[in-house]
Amino acid sequence: MTETWTLITGLAMATFAVRLSGYLLGRRLPDHGPWARGLQALPGCLILSLVTYLLMQGGPQEWAAGTAALIVALITRSLPLTMGAGIAAICLLRAFF
Amino acid sequence: MTVQDISSLPPARGQLLAGLRDILPLAIGVAVYGLAFGLLAAQAQMSGLQTGVMGTIVFAGSSQIIAVERLVAGAGAGTALLAGLALNLRLLLITASLRDELAGRPWWQILLGVHLATDENWALMHAMRARGRPAGYWYLVGGGLALVAIWVLATVAGAGFAAAVPEPRALGMDFAFTAAFIAILRSLWSGNAMLLPWAGSVAIVLLAGLLAPLDPTWTLILGGVSGAAVAGAFGHD
Repeated sequence: MTETWTLITGLAMATFAVRLSGYLLGRRLPDHGPWARGLQALPGCLILSLVTYLLMQGGPQEWAAGTAALIVALITRSLPLTMGAGIAAICLLRAFF
Repeated sequence: MTVQDISSLPPARGQLLAGLRDILPLAIGVAVYGLAFGLLAAQAQMSGLQTGVMGTIVFAGSSQIIAVERLVAGAGAGTALLAGLALNLRLLLITASLRDELAGRPWWQILLGVHLATDENWALMHAMRARGRPAGYWYLVGGGLALVAIWVLATVAGAGFAAAVPEPRALGMDFAFTAAFIAILRSLWSGNAMLLPWAGSVAIVLLAGLLAPLDPTWTLILGGVSGAAVAGAFGHD
């Protein structure tokens, strides 16, 4: 019980420290030039790294469902439709292959 | 409330409500994982109060899952904390890239904004702005508030009704976030200038996975930072 509260408060403080440090770090970087360009490109690069990693952990079924989601995203640019297509595709693929 | 109503409201309130509304598809995915986390919390003999407090003050789903999973596996609080913390290092990059949204705000808004920043509402904010929609600080906060509420409700419910909780994979929900992030990437793509940085990120993640399987956190940080470095070194203002 005490162990659990220690974990909860410790992880909460550590996580908040990480979040606040990121802000303090970003604030110190210059407004123009290479650092600013890097910071601007960071969101897309980080999300793409996450998607690449998630698909690497999967197999052909996840790759096919990812392709289906990408096609729907390209056509509709809609978040709910892309999520629906991806989930439907992975369910169908797992049920029939 | 309809879309027209929101656009006629003052900017802060309008963005807050738009953020709340737009996050809903992602919140469904978060809810399923919240139920699954509640199941784990029940195995760790955590009470409903502990589960709810943890969701509110940690508010980082994947690190909570890893940390409590370690606890269930018999590790001490310190080891579990380190495992959870390692997974959260990417939040450093997320809040670093929020500097324009947080610039010039009072300290309480800065503390609130960084605490409510998660992969989902942060990525959605960038995606909406890339599409020309007004989405800034209050959009992020709106999405974050919706996610806290859903996360706490789902985790506490999961801990309370552990026996009735479905497994995310059985519903195809393990793929929900992959699909969501694909949609967000589509919105973030703004032209050929991103080709080289994005190719760099993918190449580094693939290489890291094939040559030196690292902890997922380090793979993500390496991939994200490499792409950003390519943009910084070879891009133009």
